Amino acid sequence: MARNRTELLDVFRATATEVAEKDFHAVAESSTIAELGIDSLGMLEIIGSLERELRIQIPDESLAGIVTVKDLLNAVESRQSVTS
Amino acid sequence: MSGRDPKLVPPTLSEALRRLSNREDRGFVFVRPDGTERFCSFRELGVEAERRAADLHARGLVKGDRLAIAVPDPDEFVLSFLGAVMGGVVPVPISPQLSFKNIESYHDTVAHIANASGASLLLTTATTRQYVDPIVPRAPKLRGVVTVDELGKEDHGKVDVAIDPTDLAFLQFTSGSTSRPKGVMVSHRNLAWNSESFMIHGLAKDSSFDKGVTWLPLFHDMGLIGFVVGTIFTDIPVVFLPTASFVRNPRIWLDKIHQHRGTITYAPNFAYALVAKRLKDKDVADLDLSCLRRAGCGAEPIQAKTLRDFAAKLAPAKFDPKAFLPSYGMAEATLAITFVPHSTGVRTDVIEKKSLEGGDAKPAAGIEAGGAAADPSMHHADVQELVNCGRPFPEHAVAIVDEAGNRLGDRRVGQILTRGPSVSAGYYEEPELTADAFKAGPDGETWLYTGDLGYTVDGEVFVCGRLKDMIIVRGRNFYPNDLEWVVSELPSVRRGNVVAFSVDVNGPEGQGEQLVVAAEAFQADAEALKEAIAQAIVSNFSLTTHDVVIVPQGTLPRTSSGKPQRRKTRQLYLDGTLGRARAVQGKDGQPDDAGASA
Repeated sequence: MARNRTELLDVFRATATEVAEKDFHAVAESSTIAELGIDSLGMLEIIGSLERELRIQIPDESLAGIVTVKDLLNAVESRQSVTS
Repeated sequence: MSGRDPKLVPPTLSEALRRLSNREDRGFVFVRPDGTERFCSFRELGVEAERRAADLHARGLVKGDRLAIAVPDPDEFVLSFLGAVMGGVVPVPISPQLSFKNIESYHDTVAHIANASGASLLLTTATTRQYVDPIVPRAPKLRGVVTVDELGKEDHGKVDVAIDPTDLAFLQFTSGSTSRPKGVMVSHRNLAWNSESFMIHGLAKDSSFDKGVTWLPLFHDMGLIGFVVGTIFTDIPVVFLPTASFVRNPRIWLDKIHQHRGTITYAPNFAYALVAKRLKDKDVADLDLSCLRRAGCGAEPIQAKTLRDFAAKLAPAKFDPKAFLPSYGMAEATLAITFVPHSTGVRTDVIEKKSLEGGDAKPAAGIEAGGAAADPSMHHADVQELVNCGRPFPEHAVAIVDEAGNRLGDRRVGQILTRGPSVSAGYYEEPELTADAFKAGPDGETWLYTGDLGYTVDGEVFVCGRLKDMIIVRGRNFYPNDLEWVVSELPSVRRGNVVAFSVDVNGPEGQGEQLVVAAEAFQADAEALKEAIAQAIVSNFSLTTHDVVIVPQGTLPRTSSGKPQRRKTRQLYLDGTLGRARAVQGKDGQPDDAGASA
């Protein structure tokens, strides 16, 4: 089932917190991935976890342009509309 | 440098691929991100490579010209790489952009490699093109950008290019001690010798049943030479997975070994840690890994505990710990330098940490070496457990030397040198850097000075760390100078007041090296500055900082000429006394810290 934007941000916060073992519960959409102190491998781990949680697949080519949390949520949202 | 060809494999990569032209039922399987698979027989690989070779020549490239390749898809990368090789064109692999950070630093890297290699053409894909196009105005020798779907579209027949074993096969760019990567020149003869060494002497490959499975990136030596080149030289089929798919879902690596009955795989330490941490017991239940007979480990310091954890997690899937094959190598030696004998598993040496400070690797009394399971004393602060990386291959040698270049005996720590027919002739158009690393050793012959510190026991090599304090985090190399420079650019930090070093910690990814930055600043804004430093590191290097320590002005240990001392700083940090008091001045020009603020 597709989730709305607020729910998606919450899923991201919970997933990032679990995978990276750092508190990301207060993260805003405008944050850049770099600001959060997450490296590229860590980010891919978080994305993998999101994909399993939301039962979606984000194609590699849409990953390259992701710089902010907002970019990531946009990519997730567009896949939800494809998959659901 | 040996002027001979190896006996057990063909003399060139092009000849090796030609000899497989009758193999229609064996070859490479490329798993796409969506899980679908593309099979390419060795015959098809050869045919398509010849086709791409002819196209490159039709575009005006001739033997010896360089072709930069920034292609993320493993199938397209392999076909294009081999196409260049068949046409005598020198491929220059470049990492495709996927880093979640600003694009400018990627552009800098691509532009530098294009210029340093003098590439006349840049090959990419339709989706990656947007990330490399902007560098074209900065690379004057580059005649254009071509996408893989344009390559080989038209039939240009066949080119017949004579390839000699001494010809340059490709350029492997590696990070340098500045932010400038340098291109290791790898000849066909280097490839042939190293392939024979690790595939035959190291892995004891058996073409009747062996099959490789890998997710390693192909723009690095371990993936490219280990699984594309070495396997073509020795007729071994391989299953390739996208790197990003593995990191997102580590299980896929083991699933594919299970499904394809893989016998050979290879990975850096962090990947084994990732699996041990992420896999749930229920994920393991339906796996059968009894087929896996070689699980290589290299490219970054190997932690015995990580491999034990992996083995324990995968025991229900019938993973055999004797499959572990620790090894040591680097791009300048083509790939592999030492391997342990296969089927011996992880063997370790437990030494007194204190003895290392004096350059000795003294066995710790009363603790049995050999990797016995969770002996609590193994984690004792006074001892260190090092993994045996084995010995050099036939026709190759390793020596340990002190700072004056004299050969050291067993259990004395010094720089690791290697020589033999796998060792590169040097860095492309970098005579000074080449002369620094490839020079006369204790016997007057030319040796590769690896920059790594280690010792031997009965000829078997143990690696202790990097001579120049290189920081390796999860398989990626960082030089302290580069990190310190970026932090120094922050408004409240001054140049020369920053030290970057790594510490071994038990973090979220298990045991491994992590970055610590110590900076001198006023304590008033310490918290904000800590944040800013960690952010500067992550946005420039996509690297997570384990700890930032803000110390009062004048408390970082320095040489008398004012250069901060990295190793001393690290020791104070580990002792918990960093920043407590104005440090005593050390002697000038201490070799281990000579570059700290250069």
